[in-house]
Amino acid sequence: MPSICFYFQVHQPFRLRNYDCFKIGYEHFYEDEAKNVEILNRVAEKCYLPANNTMLQLIDKHKGDFKIAYSISGTAIEQFEKYRPDVLHSFQQLAQTGCVEFLAETYNHSLSYLYSKDEFIRQINSHTDKIKDHFNQTPTIFRNTELIYNNEIANFIANLGYKGIICEGLDHLLGHRSPNFIHYPTGNEKMKCLLKNYKLSDDIAFRFSNQGWDEWPLTAPKFANWVHHVAGNGETVNLFMDYETFGEHQWPETGIFEFLSHLPQEILRHPDFHFKTPSETINSYDAKGEYDVHDLSSWADLERDLSAWLGNSLQHDAMERVYKLEPIVKATNDKTLIDDWAKLTTSDHFYYMSTKYWSDGDVHKYFSHYNTPYDAYINYMNVLTDLEHVLEIRNETILGIRSWETGLSDKTINDPNP
Amino acid sequence: MLGWEFPPLFSGGLGVATYGLVKSLNPLSHIRLIIPTAGTTNDLNGINVIGLNQVSAEEINLEKLDFSLQFQHTEVHRLPLLLSPYHYTNQAHSQHEFVHTHFSKDTLGKLKAVHSIFSGNEIYGFNILHKVQLFAQLAEDLAADGDFDVIHAHDWVTYPAAIQIKKSSGKPLVVHVHALETDRAGEDTRNSIYWMERTGLETADRIIAVSAYTKEQITKLYQIDASKITVVHNGIEPAPRERKGHQLKDKLVLFLGRITHQKGPEFLLETAEKVSRVYPRVKFVVAGMGNQFAHLLETSAYKKLGSKFIFAGFLSKSKVNELLSMADVYFMPSISEPFGLSALEAAQHAVPSVISIQSGAAEVMKASLQANFWDTDKYANYIHALLRYEALGKELSAKALVELDQLTWDHAAKKIMNVYQSL
Repeated sequence: MPSICFYFQVHQPFRLRNYDCFKIGYEHFYEDEAKNVEILNRVAEKCYLPANNTMLQLIDKHKGDFKIAYSISGTAIEQFEKYRPDVLHSFQQLAQTGCVEFLAETYNHSLSYLYSKDEFIRQINSHTDKIKDHFNQTPTIFRNTELIYNNEIANFIANLGYKGIICEGLDHLLGHRSPNFIHYPTGNEKMKCLLKNYKLSDDIAFRFSNQGWDEWPLTAPKFANWVHHVAGNGETVNLFMDYETFGEHQWPETGIFEFLSHLPQEILRHPDFHFKTPSETINSYDAKGEYDVHDLSSWADLERDLSAWLGNSLQHDAMERVYKLEPIVKATNDKTLIDDWAKLTTSDHFYYMSTKYWSDGDVHKYFSHYNTPYDAYINYMNVLTDLEHVLEIRNETILGIRSWETGLSDKTINDPNP
Repeated sequence: MLGWEFPPLFSGGLGVATYGLVKSLNPLSHIRLIIPTAGTTNDLNGINVIGLNQVSAEEINLEKLDFSLQFQHTEVHRLPLLLSPYHYTNQAHSQHEFVHTHFSKDTLGKLKAVHSIFSGNEIYGFNILHKVQLFAQLAEDLAADGDFDVIHAHDWVTYPAAIQIKKSSGKPLVVHVHALETDRAGEDTRNSIYWMERTGLETADRIIAVSAYTKEQITKLYQIDASKITVVHNGIEPAPRERKGHQLKDKLVLFLGRITHQKGPEFLLETAEKVSRVYPRVKFVVAGMGNQFAHLLETSAYKKLGSKFIFAGFLSKSKVNELLSMADVYFMPSISEPFGLSALEAAQHAVPSVISIQSGAAEVMKASLQANFWDTDKYANYIHALLRYEALGKELSAKALVELDQLTWDHAAKKIMNVYQSL
């Protein structure tokens, strides 16, 4: 009785405004509200609203036999609250069907696990609070930013009480084994990993509209047939992808919504197949093998590693600088400041700084509003320098901490006489 | 091939480029290079270098030369304008010997006059237009045997010669554009040099431009059909150099080149003012001279930025290299820069660059920070970032070195051979 497990990632970062060196020390608002609203409106109209509507109809039509899961970042939810309550409302409608599960992640869609466990946990908790508030669910399955994963993370997450974790199914680690079974991470046989079937997932997410692909055009019966081939050699087909696949990455003109509308009925045509949410999947099947991941992996790019966010010295520099501020920011106990800072941990800021493939102009460029990765780094560092400046002044005036005690060098502050 | 600058005598990028190209083309083709002034030796085996300062009476037709006008002047009135298209030297210009010497009009006298005109260290000089015409007449004689397949002419100074040789030989002409009069004197320029360039470009069968930027200028400002223009970026000789750095408290931003309108000195000044506001511990080192020097100096003093500038004057190559090995940022705010070799040389010294988009260097060196030539806010933001965020300069200079590796003269020569073969 194999099942299909759909999980869709919903994320929007708070993009930074054009923040040049002349603003440092003077202007302390960092977001590009106009751009964030513009992009959110576009994605809401092209993807979130029509896709949610399709999902709702499918759940309705199949009377509880169609089930899906979302992971919605805290920054995305916050933008829905601020700018598009109608989108939030449509997710809430989905939550009320009982067929939709919401996963846990870091509120700021960050790489905090790698730099600060305290902040990692804080961001997961903030996110859980948000999910409870809006969807009346407490997540039991965790998915880390961009499916960044290894044994250590899985064990850490298990210790936080989660029953399962989402990760990429990597060929070189699986070898001849199939991703279509539940696995357990090395070090914890009770924990369960849901491995992405990247071939079938990417057929939809990346190849759907590619006319050069020999399987184009991809129809629901064709795809369902591929899925049905898993019968006898797998228990769960995990289809994980960005939600923006529907309508934004694959435009409506490609037929992606028609594909989506027909897929459940085609899959359910085979009497043995069902849809399950991630927690149902984990409860239904035992782990069939060990998934041993030493090096950090992710679902990004061909490399499936961290090079999209930590591939060059600029990204490392920016990342180290922002986490260095953590104790100083937190010492202020100022929620606004902590939020401002935490927004700077969002992975997208570092993704924009990626120089790999940059000269060729590719997917990284598509997702960036900067002309160059250097612009992304400079803008980010200017903002960070201002935040350091704000903290410096606060610490001196409120906490009585002198600059040398904060661990910040004088250079980093826009002092007229550094 | 018709050139103007060539080692040992060259003043700017044209000489470097001609040499690099000839060296890499040499194994692929037979080159006869005609230049105004040749050295006594050259290190390029197999290349026939003919300097007009050395020609013999048998090689050229002295009969047709008429020096009478030239030698009626015993006194030359100089215009304050220097017709030096690539380089400005601040040295006092002594009048050339031949002006004072009365050559006899016989063959020997004329030959002496020719040698004299093309000797000396002034490559361009006040009598450049005369030299260009004389070069054209003599080069035609030197090419009269017709024993060649292609005429390849470097920049406007050789175009009159190239056109005459094309007319008399019927051989195809390739003109190679290293710089345009519109770069030097502004987009609206329509002076005699402009028209000489335009005639050359129109007559040419194919045009080689040193950058896509220059190609665009040629089509836009000279109304030449883009389909006959091929972009061949210059190469750069590999030159791993030691980085010395410096112990100064102030960071050093280096401006290198002629201080002329083309190089954007007013944007240098505006940028320096803005950078100093956000990063006071900075000095702008200006190495070079030019007709905007006094203006730059006075304005910087007037704006009370005197302490932010170090005017180093015109420096020798070794001094320039020393400065490059110390500088923190290389700054090139040129209004119009066909190539911009110096930015690449800065990269060889691991100095990160802030350069104008209106340059060829911007095309080949993606690992640089680029702004429109007038955008001093953006320049300042970039320079500030390089001064404050050390990782940025390191990342850029490491990436730029990789890009430079791709930029070889051999690669350029291959592309040029393709142009020849297409004729």
